Amino acid sequence: MFKSLSAILITAFGLAGFSQTSLANQDAWLALQKAAFAARELNYQGIFVYQNGNQVRSVQITHMNTAGQELTRNMILDNQSVAGKPKSKQPREVFSQGSDIVIFNPKNDKVIIEKRHGQNLFPAMLPVNLQSLKMSYTARINVLDYVAGRQAQIIELIPKDAYRYSYKIWTDTEFGLLVKMTLQNEKNETLEQITFQELSMLNSHDLNWFQPSIDLSKKYEMEDVALLNRVHTNWIVAELPPGYIKVDHIEYMTNGKTTPVNQMIFSDGIASVSLFIEPIVKGKRPKVGHHLIGSTHICANMVEGYQVMVVGEVPLATVQQIAKAVSFKKQTASAR
Amino acid sequence: MKDQLSALIDGEFDVENAEHLIRSVKSGGELQKCWQHYQLIGDVMRNEMVLSQNFSARVMSALGDEPTVLAPAPSVEQKLARTSFFKINQFWSVAASVAAVMFVAVMVLQQQLTSSESSAPIEIAQSMPLEYLEAHHAAAPNGAAYYIQNVSLSGAGQ
Repeated sequence: MFKSLSAILITAFGLAGFSQTSLANQDAWLALQKAAFAARELNYQGIFVYQNGNQVRSVQITHMNTAGQELTRNMILDNQSVAGKPKSKQPREVFSQGSDIVIFNPKNDKVIIEKRHGQNLFPAMLPVNLQSLKMSYTARINVLDYVAGRQAQIIELIPKDAYRYSYKIWTDTEFGLLVKMTLQNEKNETLEQITFQELSMLNSHDLNWFQPSIDLSKKYEMEDVALLNRVHTNWIVAELPPGYIKVDHIEYMTNGKTTPVNQMIFSDGIASVSLFIEPIVKGKRPKVGHHLIGSTHICANMVEGYQVMVVGEVPLATVQQIAKAVSFKKQTASAR
Repeated sequence: MKDQLSALIDGEFDVENAEHLIRSVKSGGELQKCWQHYQLIGDVMRNEMVLSQNFSARVMSALGDEPTVLAPAPSVEQKLARTSFFKINQFWSVAASVAAVMFVAVMVLQQQLTSSESSAPIEIAQSMPLEYLEAHHAAAPNGAAYYIQNVSLSGAGQ
């Protein structure tokens, strides 16, 4: 009788303890969910700074959501201007409408117009559906802080395994907007930081800003469009690191190459890895091994006469495992 | 301009600013010759020189043709006295040059063998393929690094 009572008590305490931590977890996930929506739904303008290794960039962002349509303009303010040297007059401008992105990229006496598709640009870096993140990370609420003069809540995304780094995410306590994010490696060294320096909410619905500043003295040209296909080839990656799924697969021709490059993109919801596969050309030495540039790991491998390259802002183990897991699906296998 | 061209081939010249070079190479003339020469020199220096596959066969058949003409007449000893001294000499000089060609051919073939070995992989750190980084940052779902992609590229080129 006494025994069973204590067993019940222990269970009850255990449950209470569990539900308390899971509640705290839930709050953290709720804040992240709010941040994911806020970045897409609010109207705001500001300047943020992106830092990776010794590279620094300032970007002015204007974001509006009118009638369910997301419009963003990013102006890259500094071209890493050296003291004494004038900045290039015309900034690079990145316009996005939904998931379509158009870039006006000044190069010498020209402006190259480039088209891209669907990136989760800052501050909309969190996916709206957090399910994949929940599989690979635990979320924890940390202390309060101030970013761009605004109070913000720090939330940590702690990886459940060694195949990803940890993130710290600052969300505005008033509007829920993501205002700062850092990426840390396993030694807790900060690899990347992206943070608002100025931020204000917009009240107007004026859309005059949503157009490129045209410089009539320059020639505007469309970028050489690389032949781009969405494909289903016979390449298989047998064992992806846990939590990563294939989100895209494209095939394209690059300048000076006679054979197409296959690029697959894997993501765990926030971290992403690209896998490149192309035939090894005679006379060109294939590459092997791995290297770290800023926060980006790159791992090279050779598979059945093909050069395999894996690139991502993830731990070395992740790019290595993907590089090892690539193989060519044999006809017999596909017939099965 | 030739210096710039050479720098371009060595990857030490900003490709973005090299349009005038490429244009003048395309338009032919001296710079085009320069381009071909530099490329050839580069290939040779990197051991990428490719001999035609029937090179040794051609040497052998050339050898097969030669001796019939050049064999010293074995006949009368007196004849040796004056005339064939020159011929013998000629034979040896030709034989020597053929041997020299063979020697070079063997050297080149050996080099080719080792160079096909040395098209064995190299460490990625020795020659970093930045185009993959750019492609990754252009297409990856989280484009934080997008903002510096061009900086890191031109930074490496400068």
